Amino acid sequence: MANFNLTISPAQIEYLLKPGVTITQAYEITNNSSENIYLNSEVLPFIPQGNNGSVTYQNITPNPNITFSLSNANLALGQPFILAPNAKQQLVLKIKSSSNTKLSDSYYTFFVYQVQGQSSTNLPQTTGKIGSHILLSLTDTEDTKASGEISKFNLTPKIKDVFFTPLKFNGEVKNNSSFFFKTTGKIILTKNDQIVKEINLEDNNVLSNYYRQINCQNLTNCTLKPPFWPGKYTATLEFDKSLNIPSSSISFFIFPISPLIILILISLLVFIPLKFKKYFSKSKI
Amino acid sequence: MINKFTFFWVFLVLFSFSSIKTLGQSFTSDSYQIQFGNFNMTGGRKTSDTFILTDTVGQNTPGRFTKNGMIIKSGFQYAYDINYKFSFSIDNLDIDFGSLAPNVGTTQTNIITITTPTGHGYEISSLENHPLTTIDTNSTIPDTTCDNNDCDQTISKVWVEDNIHGFGFNAIGINTSGVVTDIGTSNYFPDSTYFRQFADNSNNEPAQIFMSENQAVTDHSAKVTYKINVSTNQPEGSYQTNISFIAVPKY
Repeated sequence: MANFNLTISPAQIEYLLKPGVTITQAYEITNNSSENIYLNSEVLPFIPQGNNGSVTYQNITPNPNITFSLSNANLALGQPFILAPNAKQQLVLKIKSSSNTKLSDSYYTFFVYQVQGQSSTNLPQTTGKIGSHILLSLTDTEDTKASGEISKFNLTPKIKDVFFTPLKFNGEVKNNSSFFFKTTGKIILTKNDQIVKEINLEDNNVLSNYYRQINCQNLTNCTLKPPFWPGKYTATLEFDKSLNIPSSSISFFIFPISPLIILILISLLVFIPLKFKKYFSKSKI
Repeated sequence: MINKFTFFWVFLVLFSFSSIKTLGQSFTSDSYQIQFGNFNMTGGRKTSDTFILTDTVGQNTPGRFTKNGMIIKSGFQYAYDINYKFSFSIDNLDIDFGSLAPNVGTTQTNIITITTPTGHGYEISSLENHPLTTIDTNSTIPDTTCDNNDCDQTISKVWVEDNIHGFGFNAIGINTSGVVTDIGTSNYFPDSTYFRQFADNSNNEPAQIFMSENQAVTDHSAKVTYKINVSTNQPEGSYQTNISFIAVPKY
């Protein structure tokens, strides 16, 4: 049974480049399957899509001032090659920028893909393609000035209970600069001016003049699980000072709804039989 | 006062005669001498039932340094942060439907699996070269539009009726035991009755994402179900296409 099982490393590279500079990056491609695999390589430019790190390769004009080639002696970009079972191949990608490249970001994916037609049968056939992103900032300084804003910061659900409602933080940050930056920051949860919890954000990239949803370290969907003490809380989303992003705060209440409901139910369970007992004893008389 | 001066000078003289032990290393040949300022030995992440220890032995100035929004993690002990590679697998490349009976939905499956490095989610998209076509007569099995003529390559809808013909697919997240988890696929296929078309490259349709997650994963799998249902008028022949599964990390 033919299969595809490929590893690419690194999964992403990020470089600040001075115009006119050429760099090389070695990629290690591993065939984890037990049979030969026929591969090819290409580099495609991408632009971000949506707010969660998705990309699209449609309708993009490649930057003519940045060119890619392989430095391997026996291999060029777009030239098929065979990778033996459980073998590794190093592909050395050369990235060349011309001296008149505009100072801004360019984004690409280095793809290694299976060449079609390995099977001799006339069947619907599937092939695999795996990519590694390349984030390039063309700049004449290593200290690119970041600027951005928090475009969204809220909390769900609207009614919050001490026991039964997980708190989900939704945040989005907009990059107003020409260079990507990372969402280095945290959500600080305070109650009565005391810090209750600090949630560090994942260091996700916000691409130039684009926006990105925040993700929390070690918290799926930035969701805190109950229980919580009842009271008024304030959540502040703040980023590293070097990013020049003003912080944003929201205040909310957590109510003891479920304990109150349980108390009311217990009271009713006690009160109603007593009332009925009284009523029946009266009617007996 | 004299005692203090005497002590200072005695200390200085003794200190100047003391030998200073260095931990460097050097290798020599007839023409070269290579000197190492330090000798790196080991480092990394060690675990037991109750502890996780990360260490760096030998390297100069290991540690985590921060300044002006920049974080430098120096030392082997941090190397595990980026050690997870980006892997993608498809367990069976050839999807053989055999002989198709008209007005009966026939399915085949394969399993895709993905692992991403720390800090990166992933997205997997699909693209077909063209609809299922015979090489010789150029007959095609059209892509499905589902039971209510309401699905395409971007939207999944229910496809269970035997009189609805076409070719499409479903993907459902599963765990390592094959139990349905819907992880990664629930935004694209609410359950196993939902199908959609493959994006058609011959019609300039871009590849469409059908599985994604925003956080790093290890060996997350999905069962992909391919479905064909043909009418009695469908010409005989060997139909084929190529379906590409494209995996990229979230940037």
